[in-house]
Amino acid sequence: MIRNNDTISPYQISMIVIMTIIGVGVFSLPAQLAKTAGSDCWFIIPIGGLISMVFMNIILLLNNRFPRKTLPEYAQNIIGKIPGKILTALYAVYSIVFIAYEVRVVNEVIKAFLLFRTPSEVVILSMILISTYAVRGGVECIARVMEIFFPLLFIPLILILIPGVTDIEISNMMPVFYNLSSKIFISIPALAISFAGYELLLYYVGFMENPKKAYKSANIGLIFITITYVIITILCLTVFGVNLLRESIWPLLAYVRNINLPGLFLERLDAIMLAIWLFTVFTTIISIYFVLTYSLSKILNTKEQKQFVLPLVPVIYFIALIPDNIAQAREMPDAFFKYFGSILVFVVPSLLLIIARIRKLRGESL
Amino acid sequence: MSLFNKNKKDANKDKEIKNKSTDSLDINIGKVREILKNCDDVVYKEFVVGEEQKLRFTLVYIDGMASRNLINLSVLETLMVEARVVAPDAPKYKDKLYELVRYGNIPASELKETEDLDEAILDILIGDAVLFIDGTATLITIGAKGWPARGVNEPSTEAVIRGPRDGFVETFRMNTAMVRRRIRDPKLKLKQMRIGKRSKTDVGIFYIEDIVRGQLLNEVIRRLESIDIDAVLDSGYIEQLIEDDPYSPFPQISLTERPDHVAAELYEGKIVIVVDNTPFALIVPATLNSMFQSPEDYYDRWIIATVLRFIRFAASLIAMLLPGLYIALTSYNPGIIPTRLVLSISATRQGVPFPAVIEAFIMELTLELLREAGIRLPAAIGNTIGIVGGLVIGQAAVQAGIVSPIMVIVVAITAIASFANPSYNLSVGFRMMRFALMIAASILGLYGLTLGFILIVTHLARLKSFNVPYLTPFVAMRPDELKDTILRAPTFNMIKRPYPVSGNIIRMRNNRASINQKTKDGGKNDKK
Repeated sequence: MIRNNDTISPYQISMIVIMTIIGVGVFSLPAQLAKTAGSDCWFIIPIGGLISMVFMNIILLLNNRFPRKTLPEYAQNIIGKIPGKILTALYAVYSIVFIAYEVRVVNEVIKAFLLFRTPSEVVILSMILISTYAVRGGVECIARVMEIFFPLLFIPLILILIPGVTDIEISNMMPVFYNLSSKIFISIPALAISFAGYELLLYYVGFMENPKKAYKSANIGLIFITITYVIITILCLTVFGVNLLRESIWPLLAYVRNINLPGLFLERLDAIMLAIWLFTVFTTIISIYFVLTYSLSKILNTKEQKQFVLPLVPVIYFIALIPDNIAQAREMPDAFFKYFGSILVFVVPSLLLIIARIRKLRGESL
Repeated sequence: MSLFNKNKKDANKDKEIKNKSTDSLDINIGKVREILKNCDDVVYKEFVVGEEQKLRFTLVYIDGMASRNLINLSVLETLMVEARVVAPDAPKYKDKLYELVRYGNIPASELKETEDLDEAILDILIGDAVLFIDGTATLITIGAKGWPARGVNEPSTEAVIRGPRDGFVETFRMNTAMVRRRIRDPKLKLKQMRIGKRSKTDVGIFYIEDIVRGQLLNEVIRRLESIDIDAVLDSGYIEQLIEDDPYSPFPQISLTERPDHVAAELYEGKIVIVVDNTPFALIVPATLNSMFQSPEDYYDRWIIATVLRFIRFAASLIAMLLPGLYIALTSYNPGIIPTRLVLSISATRQGVPFPAVIEAFIMELTLELLREAGIRLPAAIGNTIGIVGGLVIGQAAVQAGIVSPIMVIVVAITAIASFANPSYNLSVGFRMMRFALMIAASILGLYGLTLGFILIVTHLARLKSFNVPYLTPFVAMRPDELKDTILRAPTFNMIKRPYPVSGNIIRMRNNRASINQKTKDGGKNDKK
């Protein structure tokens, strides 16, 4: 009954999927979608979820071909040692930029809402350093952190979102399904970014004792996220209307800010919202951070990933400081993830799967 | 169980006796006197037995540790007086002197024989009496332990309103008896060992054989056997030597003074370590959740227990977060609290020369000071200190303009909240974290407070107690276990034992269904 070190349970896979994918993007998601899809922004989320589900299951298929192996291990099997390592390095680069982007957005939000005069360096460094503690604990610790933050995130979130329901204006959802097909196409980048994160399953499923169980739990996780996104988007859309939503930067925060609860100890709930949002960002960061250090340890053939955690802090820190302002920071994913990210998330796993099929490669069965 | 086999082998090896006793009483006693030189509390009672008074005996024990009553009645009286009726020195018993004494003449319940002088001396030091017989190498140890012990009292650290009032005492054997009285199951095992090269302290490991996880048991035994220390004065020594992360502020082994608590934990498949000379037993593995539980929760009805549990969890959060929150809100983000409250806070803070951090630190430190002083002082004076201190920090400090009244309220709430936790050492952990969070909040406001909170939660998630994750029912989730967390499900509903159990996971049959069925059938004539 007691699990050995470094194994993950199916339930923990659900948690990893949920807590990794829901990250900084959840604050701005409704606005981004409103820009591309107008009043149908809520409806295209399930479509995005379906697309993600297809690619996620490709990843799971690949992992099930090589049970108890992670991407750096089976990539070397499939395409050879050096190319495998190069591929792992690409994922490491992707991870490092991903983390940098997350902490940079944290910095922007914190400076806009909580600490107006604190230097960015302090905000960014403190966030990264806090994450290192969890990452040094290894995959098991990360999985447990995900599990414990899940209720800490969603219970307050539901409690906070409910009071705002009074401001809902259903007519803001009109017109429905207007020119849907073209909207879907242009919304895909925004959707892909907000669903990004499940590619980490390439690594995490490798820690499961029975990867077959990952199908169910990962898909449940993705469905859960889709529902959460839809609810959040509908709430923001019906409260603000399309035009206002398009212009806002952090619509979810604005939604919470809008809630007025006279007679409560806290007048503005956005502080609590920010706190629990930091939870999700934190879990996203440690999830990617672990993959980053793990990749490095596999490239350099070391036994542990611990020693890579602290040396990476300055690297992430400098990458996070590259964009000059918030506008640039938000363009980071657009430029970077659109091409590089989509190759790693969509193309590479499919290709690996095809090659493995053709070469009839298989890991040791259970 | 390879571990036990190994123990047996070790025991056999030790059987090569270094200091063997001889046939001669004088040589034996001489050796004992040599080893126990300058131990003036050792009593050597020499006497002769038999019709012809030719058999020489010496009884050795430590004054005060062996029960004089028992020695007088069952050893001296029988041997010296009654032995005249059945003369041990009669010719027909000549060869069987030892057997006669061993099996016939000492009406004591606990007898042991040995030929090892070192073992005999250890027995003497433990409080038994050892009988040396002239002409026989075998020594007879008479279980005569009887020293003045504290009676069974109500435990002072884990008071309950409803539930048994007996608590552990300092005597090992009484404690084990109190546990055994609650579990009349042959599967309840007690493995005893002595830890401490000089103190030779009795340590007992309680477990229920078919519920406990074998792996856990082996791990506990392994860790206990690896202890190499000269003295164990309290279970705290053992706790610190076997816990998983000695650098964590949170305790990973829970303590209890209550035999009913011990029994409850044993029934859940845990292992309890009872140590001599202390009323505190150790329970492993401990989880954060288990430390929020009081035995009373299970004696009360479930609705009451659930409410109390909820209050405890909330109280711990308050004890940890409230001062930090106050600092963050007043010095960085006053906009979050209602305008009128901000105005009244700032009005009361008008004369205060310090920033909120210093103010909070002054008050919190004063409070900790009072608490510590109150514990150290005798009870009567302690109360006085409490009242004086309360007045000083409550009234005078505000009037002197050192702190604001709001701060006094915050500190008072935190103090009360930190007492609401049933586990003393866990609440100390939360108290220490409070200061860390206050510093974090003073540097980075709400952001710092949140990061600090994240760090603490991460630390808790990282911790393990004997390979069981510290946050167990919340992580490594099985829905059944959530029935005994913040919610305490109705008793008939908690059918399964919680997580760390191996076999025998079902602990009860849901009796509700049959009761309902019977009331339906038999209740036809009733009004309802």
